[in-house]
Amino acid sequence: MMNPDAVEENQEEGNILVWLTGLAFLAAMVAIFIYVPTERTEGIIQRIMYFHVPSAWLSFFAFFVVFLSSILFLWKKEREWDIYAHASAEIGVIFCSLVLITGPIWARPIWGAWWVWDARLTSTLILWIIYVAYLMLRTQSDAGSMRARYAAVLGIVGFLNIPFIHFSVLWWRTFHPQPKVITNEGIGKGMDPTMLATLGISVCAFTLLYFLLMGVRVRQEKLKDEIDRLKREKIYSA
Amino acid sequence: MDNLGFLFAANVVVWGGIIYYVYTIRQRNRALEKDLELLKETLSKEG
Repeated sequence: MMNPDAVEENQEEGNILVWLTGLAFLAAMVAIFIYVPTERTEGIIQRIMYFHVPSAWLSFFAFFVVFLSSILFLWKKEREWDIYAHASAEIGVIFCSLVLITGPIWARPIWGAWWVWDARLTSTLILWIIYVAYLMLRTQSDAGSMRARYAAVLGIVGFLNIPFIHFSVLWWRTFHPQPKVITNEGIGKGMDPTMLATLGISVCAFTLLYFLLMGVRVRQEKLKDEIDRLKREKIYSA
Repeated sequence: MDNLGFLFAANVVVWGGIIYYVYTIRQRNRALEKDLELLKETLSKEG
């Protein structure tokens, strides 16, 4: 049963996180549209990077949480970890979709094509398909604990694609640009400091948004469990 | 469409996506609250 004091405390923490996230996004918007200078070769369109890269970061982070929670669920068999994995997968799919939409919008004026089947783009699309399948598995199958176990395995396998996505631009010749933040010369050496700062602010805003959404979704899933438990109790007592 | 149009489109997609997702979460919350109220009502009638 949920403790009312704990619920109140959670709500207070949630409110602080809402404000922090709002402020971080405000700072990001100011940095993206006012502070950062326009890139010389690509022009104004390059500013899409400040949405595209943080969305990619958020989705990879979300899928990492799915990976970790799924391992812990299979190991400890605690429903809590299954809830974390499910909530995180949903957020990851939303932001991976945003990556797959903003990428072509950026690519069209620069590459002259909405989409090319290069290693980075194709492997990201495969990642999206895997986690969409993960969410479909969760909604389609009825067997509770078996469903959670199958989903956990898929959640782990799906994450193995992420290192491949990261290194794909180094292993093959691709249209997609090489990494600019983490390079062989060091972190942030391949970027102008103002661009790096703007990207950093945007990444912080998106990360805060992830924790905010996770908090809400996890509470929601727990409430759903509680309602199901009460319903079961009512049915058995009748 | 000039480059400003593409930038605008990307912005609309990102904000639209986030707002739509928050909206679906809110809808699910409302459905759960309704479910809980109904359950409480039924339990109080019985007990």
